[in-house]
Amino acid sequence: MPQFGFSISQPRAVNLDTNDTVPAERILQEVPELQCCIACGSCTATCTAGNLTSFNFRRMHTLVRRGEYREVYEQLEKCMLCGKCRLVCPRGINTRAVALKIKKTLCDY
Amino acid sequence: MENKDKRVIVVGGGVAGMQTALLLRERGAEPIIVEREERLGGKLAGWHKLFPTFTPAGEVLEPLRGRVAEAGIEVRTGRTVEEVTPTGVVLNGGERLDGAATVVCSGFEVFNARIKEEYGYGIYDNVFTTVDIERMMNEGRVRTAQGNEPRRIAFLHCVGSRDEKVGAHHCSKVCCITGVKQAIEMKELFPTAEVYNFYMDIRMFGPGYEELYRKAQLDYRINFIRGRISEASQTIDGWVQIKAEDTLIGRPLRMSVDMLVLIVGMKGGASNGAFARSGGLTVAPNGFMQPRDAFFGNVASERDGIFYAGAVTAPKNIGECLNEGAAAAERVAAYLKL
Amino acid sequence: MYYDHFVIPFLVGTIFMFAVIVWKWGRWLWMLPGGDKRAIGRGIFSMATVRAVGEVVSECLLHRKIFRVNPLLGYMHMSLAFGWFLLIATGWIEAACVLGGGTPLHAHVFFRYFDPAVHTGWNPFSFVMDLLLLMVLSGVALAWFKRMRSRAMGMKRTTKHVLIDRVALSSLWCIFPLRLLSESLTAAAKHNGGFLTGSLGDLFAAWLSPDALAVCTETAWWLYSCALGIFFVAMPFSRYMHIFTEVPLIFLRRYRIRSEEQPKSFDNFQIQACSRCGICIDSCQLQRDLGIRNVQSVYFLRDRRYGRLTDEVADNCLMCGLCEARCPVGIDLNTLRLNSRQQRKDAPVLTRYDYLQGIDRSVGTGKVGYFAGCMTLLTPATLQSMQRIFEAAGEEVWWADRDGGTCCGRPLKLSGEVQAARKIMESNKALFAKHGITTLVTSCPICLKVFREDYDLQGIEVLHHTEYILRLVRAGRLAIDSSGEAFTYHDPCELGRGSGIYEPPRELIRMAGTLAEPEHNRREALCCGSSLANTVIDDGQQLRIGAAMTAELEQTGAQTIVTACPLCKKAIVRNVSVRVADISQVVAEHLRPVVGSRAAAAETGAAASRSARPA
Repeated sequence: MPQFGFSISQPRAVNLDTNDTVPAERILQEVPELQCCIACGSCTATCTAGNLTSFNFRRMHTLVRRGEYREVYEQLEKCMLCGKCRLVCPRGINTRAVALKIKKTLCDY
Repeated sequence: MENKDKRVIVVGGGVAGMQTALLLRERGAEPIIVEREERLGGKLAGWHKLFPTFTPAGEVLEPLRGRVAEAGIEVRTGRTVEEVTPTGVVLNGGERLDGAATVVCSGFEVFNARIKEEYGYGIYDNVFTTVDIERMMNEGRVRTAQGNEPRRIAFLHCVGSRDEKVGAHHCSKVCCITGVKQAIEMKELFPTAEVYNFYMDIRMFGPGYEELYRKAQLDYRINFIRGRISEASQTIDGWVQIKAEDTLIGRPLRMSVDMLVLIVGMKGGASNGAFARSGGLTVAPNGFMQPRDAFFGNVASERDGIFYAGAVTAPKNIGECLNEGAAAAERVAAYLKL
Repeated sequence: MYYDHFVIPFLVGTIFMFAVIVWKWGRWLWMLPGGDKRAIGRGIFSMATVRAVGEVVSECLLHRKIFRVNPLLGYMHMSLAFGWFLLIATGWIEAACVLGGGTPLHAHVFFRYFDPAVHTGWNPFSFVMDLLLLMVLSGVALAWFKRMRSRAMGMKRTTKHVLIDRVALSSLWCIFPLRLLSESLTAAAKHNGGFLTGSLGDLFAAWLSPDALAVCTETAWWLYSCALGIFFVAMPFSRYMHIFTEVPLIFLRRYRIRSEEQPKSFDNFQIQACSRCGICIDSCQLQRDLGIRNVQSVYFLRDRRYGRLTDEVADNCLMCGLCEARCPVGIDLNTLRLNSRQQRKDAPVLTRYDYLQGIDRSVGTGKVGYFAGCMTLLTPATLQSMQRIFEAAGEEVWWADRDGGTCCGRPLKLSGEVQAARKIMESNKALFAKHGITTLVTSCPICLKVFREDYDLQGIEVLHHTEYILRLVRAGRLAIDSSGEAFTYHDPCELGRGSGIYEPPRELIRMAGTLAEPEHNRREALCCGSSLANTVIDDGQQLRIGAAMTAELEQTGAQTIVTACPLCKKAIVRNVSVRVADISQVVAEHLRPVVGSRAAAAETGAAASRSARPA
């Protein structure tokens, strides 16, 4: 679809027809248990950085899994990698690895 | 047929055990109930009212107790079972009870909330479990540790369920509805109190459950917040400050309550391992006993002569336990050719 | 004179080997930072050099540390190293005595061949040389035996070697049997052998015709020279580089040169001093409990040396320090692992963590600051116990982070992001300075280690709460009553091996009851599996490591398992049914009640340190 000029507003819908999920799949290959996140929000509730900023780890990795990468890298820069989220995650997700892998993948990509 | 050939050892005197024994007696068997506590009743003896109908627990428990006594069923209370076999059990102290079949109705354990230290159970004054609330309701006095009527109550679902960090991969099934039931009860006791239920998923599996959930939302104005509490701390006046993410908004949420109620899950019985070793049975990965199969063998073990009824094989509600007692009695009768 | 064509492989190999070694060492030394070079200058004419010589003898030749792992393994290494050294030294002396000075190198090495004398009667040199050869051969035999039956020598697993190692190893194993053969064949004609080569020589003389003997002798010496040549050519590129590299490493270490958070050329001395003995493999819990067999220190160093290091290997380590404690060469394995990660991950931070500017969630005032640490916020029993202890001792406390603070920075450092970590550290440092504390108490060994090693907190003493509590008890500000309860204690890696704190928690526990040690304790203690240093293993794997460790604690039969780290506590709780408590809980529960003034002090302390409920 041709886009004339520039548009400031992003499309509202998460478009799974057009979103590129290749990076997301690469991350899920390395941390497969991320797939079983039940979005309980414990990671974000306990987050040391989230306590001080608007950083929301659950939202970030969910966005990545949907193929939405805008601002994710910048947001993840706020993470201090303290590991509290890993300690509270009821699904046993290696959240620290998720944070590292997302950053690495988005950087490489 | 000799008397001994009709003797059936029923391990555990909760609802499933009593029901099994009663129906076995009706069919002419000679059941003996071995109960660890001093009285029959199991966990039901500690509950106040039953979901989803708010039936007083006593209305289920007392008839069962009465009928067991009436039927003259032999009951050994205050005894634990250390080994189970198809031909009898070994009690604590080494005494052996012989029988022609064994039905294991030893039920479940309540998750020990102290293990989730971040919620502060046993550390902060105003953190309770659903078991504590039932007890307080039975005692007729629900109060905060400071002796006040609670003004702001938070229930937390899934404590000790669906949590790999405490080795509980399973869903305890009945806690969602328990949380809704207790939230309503609290609201009835303290109409001006604010009640919040923090949940990950609400699983309303039974008849009337979803309807009760809706009633809780609509008629009782109970707030359901989708987010798991990650930790709690105590404030100077003894309130509990909780942290969660309101996942539907996508922002962290903080609030202080004067009562935090942990909706504790069910875990497999502590003696399941010993039963499995002595009886040649299997403990499923979730800690409950593994029945023979999920369809026609729900109340049978892999071993002929050993049967199951009730929450020993999985989390179940009272009605299901009663049904399983009946089903187990049927299977035992067929096995003994009664 | 003293020349035969067969010496060529040996000579070529030797020259090549020494050229490579000189080039390598020269380059590494040249590339050392200025500070390190000055340290060498200062150290070289000091006692450090003398001590280094002593250490070279005891470690490079005698291998005393390996003897401590297993006597047979120690003998194997010693017989090869020390035996070969003596063989060279004695051979040198003998050749110098017989041939005089100024003879070429190969005349010493192949002395028996060039030996002009036809001996009669007993020759003490032959006897000693044969004895030494026998010693080395016994070492070779043990090495063979170890390949087949490593368990008998105290090693369950041996290193899997790369091709160049196999080449070097094969030639090394051939060298001494071939030497025995060559010298025996020569002795058959010249009768210059000792009890071993002489007797074998007599046998050969009886079996072989003089012509056949001459051909065999020439061939054997060729083979011997080739084996030496191949070994020497392969040596600088194989694990055997350690033979020579451990020597300068010992000297440089004595001159106080250390590896740091960023790689530097000194690391090469450490990396190439690894003999790939594989002692690190058995102790590694990733190997023992999870069957992961490609990430242990020996493989990490190997991969790094050959430029094949992957994130998978660099990041998959608990950094528990158990292998470092056992390494016979004393390589700083954790530091090397860290600076490898630094090299792979570190990036400029620019505006990162600018949000920390001015963040201050602290409460209370006092000269003593308490930094709970992120993880301790998830073990509130520890927080509550510390509060009771502070109150009981009448201590006024500044609570740095009880309402949520900043991370200490160590987790980032452990992942390699050193610059990012530094930024967090600076922010915390400024906070500590702002509140004017003189003592900083923390309940988290991870925080403790970074405060002590990276913060450079001038005028602030950093204590773990075990040390702090013990100090209060010794000063008479706290009294602990024994309940006779049976305890066992788990040493957290960062507190024990990481910070050398083994006795304070044990002393406190003994005041409260009895202490039973698990099988592995203190320097040998096992990791709980939750280490923040490892970002690779998943939850199930962490759990398995924790379960194996916890089983040892349970076997003590203790009623309560005590530890002093929130992460360890969480890991142990997952695996046991008995009670698990932090050391502070044990102390708080066993405090002797004091009547009188304490109550008033406690009241004000509580009021100051607790936060008010937000409206």
